Order: sequence, then structure tokens, then C-alpha cells
Amino acid sequence: MELLDRYLQAVEFWLPKRQRQDIIAELSEDLRSQIEEKETELGRKLNDAEVEEILNRCGAPMTVASRYRPQQFLIGPTLFPIYRFVLGVLLIGCIVPRFLLWLGFLLLDPADRGYLHMDNLGTTVLYFAFFTTLVFAIMERSGVKLEINTWNPRKLPPVRDPNRIPRSAPLAEIAIAIIFNVWFVTALWPRPSLDLGGVRIALAPLWQLFFWSFLLVAAANIVLASVNLYRAYWTSRRATFRLILDTLGGGLFCWLLKAQVVLGISSPNMSEAKAVAVTALVNTWIARTLPWAVVVTVVIICFDVYRILRLRGVCRHGSSTAPAAKSFSKPMVNGN
Amino acid sequence: MSQSNGNHDLFENLRLELRRGCLSLAVLSQLKTERYGYTLRKALADQGLDIDEGTLYPLLRRLESQGLLTSVWREEEKRNKRFYRLSPEGKSMLKQLGEEWQRINSSLKEIL
Repeated sequence: MELLDRYLQAVEFWLPKRQRQDIIAELSEDLRSQIEEKETELGRKLNDAEVEEILNRCGAPMTVASRYRPQQFLIGPTLFPIYRFVLGVLLIGCIVPRFLLWLGFLLLDPADRGYLHMDNLGTTVLYFAFFTTLVFAIMERSGVKLEINTWNPRKLPPVRDPNRIPRSAPLAEIAIAIIFNVWFVTALWPRPSLDLGGVRIALAPLWQLFFWSFLLVAAANIVLASVNLYRAYWTSRRATFRLILDTLGGGLFCWLLKAQVVLGISSPNMSEAKAVAVTALVNTWIARTLPWAVVVTVVIICFDVYRILRLRGVCRHGSSTAPAAKSFSKPMVNGN
Repeated sequence: MSQSNGNHDLFENLRLELRRGCLSLAVLSQLKTERYGYTLRKALADQGLDIDEGTLYPLLRRLESQGLLTSVWREEEKRNKRFYRLSPEGKSMLKQLGEEWQRINSSLKEIL
């Protein structure tokens, strides 16, 4: 019976303390009954191999013990989908922007040692993951009840169509573009120097090119936004137009930051030496903004490209996928 | 080969899932009369329903904690044994589950 006792001891180790004695007594009784029955059948004592066979059939000690424990989890099935979503959003929000900035600095401003922005990324990710898990584990343990069973179909969000342009978007674009253009034209009209509130800014001749290009892009944006206002679904052609405008606008802005068009800043209340220093400082900060501008431009361009690919994907699959699967989305618009 | 293994594993999982619900009903039905674990297992096995000790005893504990069974330790044949039997709640639950089983069974007979 030594083998049996060793087995019971191994099972006991993994059992919940309060029930150990009770469970072991019951399990022991069962196994002893099995052994006795087999011995009666064979008319002799069982050897170790035969006892081993019975114990093997019963299962590994830890597995047997685990069946006596209630189902245990850090974050239960109700909270888990929300936990996974929150963790995903936090991690993506933590990793992607930093990676893009790191890349931007590395490509455009290696002197600024862009890698420094990544050196503690691993620790940051771990912190995010740890504290998110901790918060959800506490919620699970404290029995926080989510109101997921008192839902109302009428309160569900409307069916989302990624190709639909919300009316507010072109309206906002038009309003912002008009305000910006009025200010742009009145304050920054191309001339050798600008006067902003008593501060005289001398600009390079290249500024003229930027001015008219920006104005052209802004006007095209207003046209596109106006079309979008009346045709509320993206089409491949308009999405391509949007990509071209964003690429032009972003590219121009990045070029402007790199071109150092500010030749000098002066003011009646400023000494010449200070004016030179301020000019250098402004140009330095404009140049340092370049990686950020490149990153933002790249993100916008990626989004525009994704929109075009999505639209083409919809066009390709529109007629071949099951109608029911597409029935809740807006029918595809082929024209402009 | 691996697909065959995968099918076998899938079958095993589905089979266990199918059995899980039935076992509670089978155990409750056998405890109209008082039994201890080993004799209960034998009674079920004799009727074609094998159940290993690692499954039966945790199930008995769960049913007892749910108030469907009562248990008592008693000495028999010079050994302490834990005897189980249906509680009044268990009897009522067995009746309800039995009716539900009959409904499912007759539906499945039609479907299959």
C-alpha cells in the first residue's frame, strides 16, 4: 500500500486546505475498495505494477486535485473581452505613436538620437499591461457588475458604414478652411517681410511659392469638402483626390519646415544680437518640428491609402459575397 | 495523420461536453437510495455509464454544496465511508431535470 499512500500524499498537497482530510479519506476509501475487489478477483495481493495501473487510471495527482477546486481565473469571462479591448487600445496607443516618432527622428534628425525615445518602451508596455491587468483583476474580485444584461436594442449604436462621410466632417472642414484662408491671405500675403503685431519677419523669396501652393491646396480641399457634403459616400476617385491633396499639403508643410524661410526677426524693442538669437531659435524649433510633421503626414497618407484599398476591396467583393452579410451596409456607390 | 488526431481530439471534447450535463442527472437518479462513492460508481458502470473517481467525487461535492445531496460519514465493514442521498431539493430537481431530459431526448430522436 506504500504506492497508494504516496499517491494520496501527492494529491493532498494540491488540495484546498480546509477540505484536504475529507477528500483524501473519501478518495482513499474508493481506491482501497478497488484494490480489494481486484485482490478478491485474483485471490492474491496486488503487486506494485497492478496498483500502479489503478492509480494511473485515477489520474495525475495535480489533475485529480484541481477538479476539487472551483474554477479559478484572474479575469472572468464577462470582463475578459473588455479587458482585452482596453489592453489592446492602450498598448497600440503606447507603441505605435512612439515607434513612428522614433522612426521620424531616426530618419530626419539622427543627431537628436531618436533611439532615446524607444529605450524605455519595453518597461512602459509592461507597466501598462500590469496596471490594466491589476485593475481588471480587482474589478473581478470585488464583483463589479457591468450593466451588460440590461441592454436595450434601441440604444445600440447605428450600423457603422466606414465609407459614409458624416455630414459634420465636410461642414467642419469648410468652416476651418475658410477661417484659415482668410487669416492666411490677410496676414501672410507674400511680400518680403511680414508684420505680425509689431514684430517684423523677413521671409525668403521661396515663401511666395509656398503661399500660392498652400492656397491652391486649401481651395481644392474646400471643393472636395463641398462635394462630400452632398455626396455622403466615399468613392475611389474622391478618395484618390483626398490622398493627392493630403500628400501635397503634408509634403509642402514638411518642405516649408525644412526650407528655413525665416530670414530674420526684428522688433523696435529688440537689440540686433537678440534678434539674431531669436531668429536662430525659431529656425531651430521649426526644424525640430519636421520629424513630427513627417510622422503626422505619413499617418494621414496611410489612412488615405487604406481608405482607397478598402473601397477597392468592397468593389471587388460586392457582387460575390453573400447578400445577407452586406445587407446592413449602404449599397456600393460606383459613380461620383 | 494530424487531421485524424485533431478529429479525435475534437470528438473527445464534444463527447465530454455531451456527457457532462448527463452525469449530474445520472448521479442524482442513483442517489434516491443511499450509496457511498464506490458503490455509486459501480452502479453507474453496471448500467453502462463509466465515471472515474476524479470526476465523480468533485461532482458529488458540487451537488452537495448546491443543496441537492446530503452526506454522512459512517463506518461500514470496518472502514469509514461517506454515504450520499438526495435531499428534498434534490428530489425536486431530479424530477425537473428528468422531464427536461425526456423533452430533449424525444426532440433529438426526431432530429437525428
